[in-house]
Amino acid sequence: MSEGILLEISENLQRGKAKVVKELIPQALEAGIDPETILNDGLLAGMNVIGAKFKEGTAYVPEVLVAARAMNQGAAMLKPYLEEAGVTSIGRACIGTVQGDLHDIGKNLVKMMLEGKGIEVIDLGTDVAPETFIQTAIEQDCQLICLSALLTTTMGVMADVVKKAEEAGIRDKVKIMIGGAPVDEAFCELIGADKYTPDAASCADAAKAFLTGNA
Amino acid sequence: MIRITVNGKDYYREAGQELGVFLRTLSAEGTSDSGGKGAGLSFACGGHGRCGKCKVKASGALSAVTAAEERCLGETGLAEGYRLACQVKASGDCEISTGEPPQDKNGCVAIEGEMAEFELLPSFSGYGAAVDIGTTTIAAKLFDDKGNELSSFGMQNPQGRWGADVISRMEAALKGEAENLAEAVRGAVNEIIDRIATLAGIAAKEDIRSVVITGNTVMLYLLCGIDTEPLTHAPFEAKELFGRSFPAASIGLAAVPEAEIYIPPCIAAFIGADTVCAALAVGLDRPGDPAIMTDIGTNGEMVIRSKKGLYACSTAAGPAFEGAGISMGMGGFEGAVDRVSLGEGDRLTAHVIGGEKGARAIGICGSGLIDAVACLLEFEAVDETGFMEEDECEIADGVRLIRNDIRAVQLAKSAIHAGILTLMHASGTAVGDVVTLSIAGGFGKFLNIDNAGKIGLIPSELVPRVSAAGNAALSGASMLLLSVPARERALSFSRMVDVVELSTDPMFSQEFMNQMAFEC
Ligand code: B12
Ligand code: FES
Repeated sequence: MSEGILLEISENLQRGKAKVVKELIPQALEAGIDPETILNDGLLAGMNVIGAKFKEGTAYVPEVLVAARAMNQGAAMLKPYLEEAGVTSIGRACIGTVQGDLHDIGKNLVKMMLEGKGIEVIDLGTDVAPETFIQTAIEQDCQLICLSALLTTTMGVMADVVKKAEEAGIRDKVKIMIGGAPVDEAFCELIGADKYTPDAASCADAAKAFLTGNA
Repeated sequence: MIRITVNGKDYYREAGQELGVFLRTLSAEGTSDSGGKGAGLSFACGGHGRCGKCKVKASGALSAVTAAEERCLGETGLAEGYRLACQVKASGDCEISTGEPPQDKNGCVAIEGEMAEFELLPSFSGYGAAVDIGTTTIAAKLFDDKGNELSSFGMQNPQGRWGADVISRMEAALKGEAENLAEAVRGAVNEIIDRIATLAGIAAKEDIRSVVITGNTVMLYLLCGIDTEPLTHAPFEAKELFGRSFPAASIGLAAVPEAEIYIPPCIAAFIGADTVCAALAVGLDRPGDPAIMTDIGTNGEMVIRSKKGLYACSTAAGPAFEGAGISMGMGGFEGAVDRVSLGEGDRLTAHVIGGEKGARAIGICGSGLIDAVACLLEFEAVDETGFMEEDECEIADGVRLIRNDIRAVQLAKSAIHAGILTLMHASGTAVGDVVTLSIAGGFGKFLNIDNAGKIGLIPSELVPRVSAAGNAALSGASMLLLSVPARERALSFSRMVDVVELSTDPMFSQEFMNQMAFEC
């Protein structure tokens, strides 16, 4: 029984059926499945499948987005139960599109994928100054800073963030991940960031690896 | 000093010379000697190692292969001795071959366009010229003061060496190339004026008394030597919006040193004088039923006339329809597959530019790309989510599309489609009320409109109402040349247009997602 309903949650989530997911969650709770299991084996499992498909190119942005929306709504519903049960996230990240840039679709996707790995994400929005990333990381105790840039003229701001993190003395306490269409591995190395990935799903994988010490 | 041999000709440079920079200056030196074949290279992505367009055969003392080269060229490309010029430094003597000499691409530039009625009242006596500086091409026409068109000419924008899109050009300008960029475009404008004068048989160019130069805001800034830095990042502040005259000498137009230069008004950083001109040419500044004008290019500017007023936006579709970012993409030159249709059985029939003269297919251009995707959807080789079952699909002999090409088309077409929907929404216009969708630019002329509807580049309801406006920007510039009152109209039009800022518009983001799929 419990297997069945979790699978149903996962499959409906993959198809982006948020409404069905939200109907299934209370049923699962009533059936006595603990909230953490619903999260891991229902919601996050579904998100993993979609993420893997996205990485290999068989699913694309819109599919991932609707699935992620379903996951978010489901997760919001589970949140009070998880808190009650004392379940915590695996870590905290802040994310934003760098100063001078307003493209946010890729950034939003990354955010949802990170959440899909059970990471708590603080979204700083777009046109975010380097100082804001650093300040947030310090004040909110983030282990990850995720930077997105879509313009070749704004990707340079990422280097400023790395520099500011050094100046603030938190460089060894945070991992800085970067991405966006014009960014690549070589640029990541050049500016001394910790990780570049080409897509949101691999970003989430890498983030989890950092947070669980498997990087 | 080291010796760099390019297509058999020797050059001497300092060790550590960046090949990309070197070959770019070579192309600037012209095509007269064999070394100048560097002119055939384009640096579409601005030297970021992403477009692969700067591919050359190179051997000798060169810097190590970069990750970008591995990605772009693959093992086979590298094994065959190819390198990306923008990624390589020459540490010692080396030899480079840039391949086939560049073909003449000038014949393919769109020059003709729709022109609304206007009152003939030229700003000059004698002769006048209208010039449109596009990011990719430059076109011009010569008129006499009776309004007769005497000649016209089109050519490639020589700034292509610094990248295909406006951001790459500005990036180069930021890196200290601003003067070279200005010089290149001024040289081209001088040249094109020379050409049209010669074609019209005018010996004394001093008789050309007036020149209207239109273009997008970035092109005009670079022409005039205005700092483009504020246009490279949000809030994209464009302080200078033109809409007035300049002495020719102030912008280095040696061909016509005494002429009055009029630059039409721009609306914003990414909605330029070319958009204003094109809107004028299709009559959007006149009262009438709701109508849309769009230029489907890298920037995708569009304007709507509605009951509520005039609105404009810029959608940044990217250069997929100009062939960049597509694995075998190219411009609409000889060897490009420009039309594809369903053949017998599971076969596609492809038309190749110059095929009649025996040209072989070497790549695919924007119009061919749209046809090809429409056909693949028809065959169900690509499903409605844009997923292509096979790793690649053959379109013509040796020309293939890969999965990522379909994804690039999805991003580009949905940006245009979502832009149109957002503009209609902002102006309270229902799709049924739109009487005309004018598509400006050369692309609109070659585009199969039915297929554009099929792949969702434009709303399918608008397919029967599409009109190809041709080089409407140049037509509009011609109007401003031949009619002083039209300049007044252009100015008041540019001030009446409300800009819809798409980056913060939730409807745009939503529709951008919705339109990415192919509705079948
Ligand atoms: C949609 C779009 C817009 C929309 C943005 C809407 C929005 N709310 O974001 C609008 C129309 C507003 C827009 C405007 C502009 N745009 Co625009 N835009 C695009 C477009 C078509 C798609 C971008 C996109 O959303 N892709 C889909 C997402 C999902 O992909 P992604 O962002 O790359 O993200 C993925 C990965 O990169 C990665 N990732 C992203 N972030 C991160 C972060 C981390 C940490 C990691 C690890 C990974 C990661 O994961 C994501 C999912 O896998 C591209 C062209 C293209 N074909 O790419 C141009 C493009 C990015 N835009 C461009 C330009 C120039 C502009 C403008 C400056 C000019 C204009 N003409 O209007 C303006 C200014 C915008 C601004 N104010 O900042 C250029 C940039 C050129 C350059 N050389 O830099 C492009 C490339 C088009 C082009 N060639 O001309 N644009
Ligand atoms: S890869 Fe060299 S210019 Fe694009």
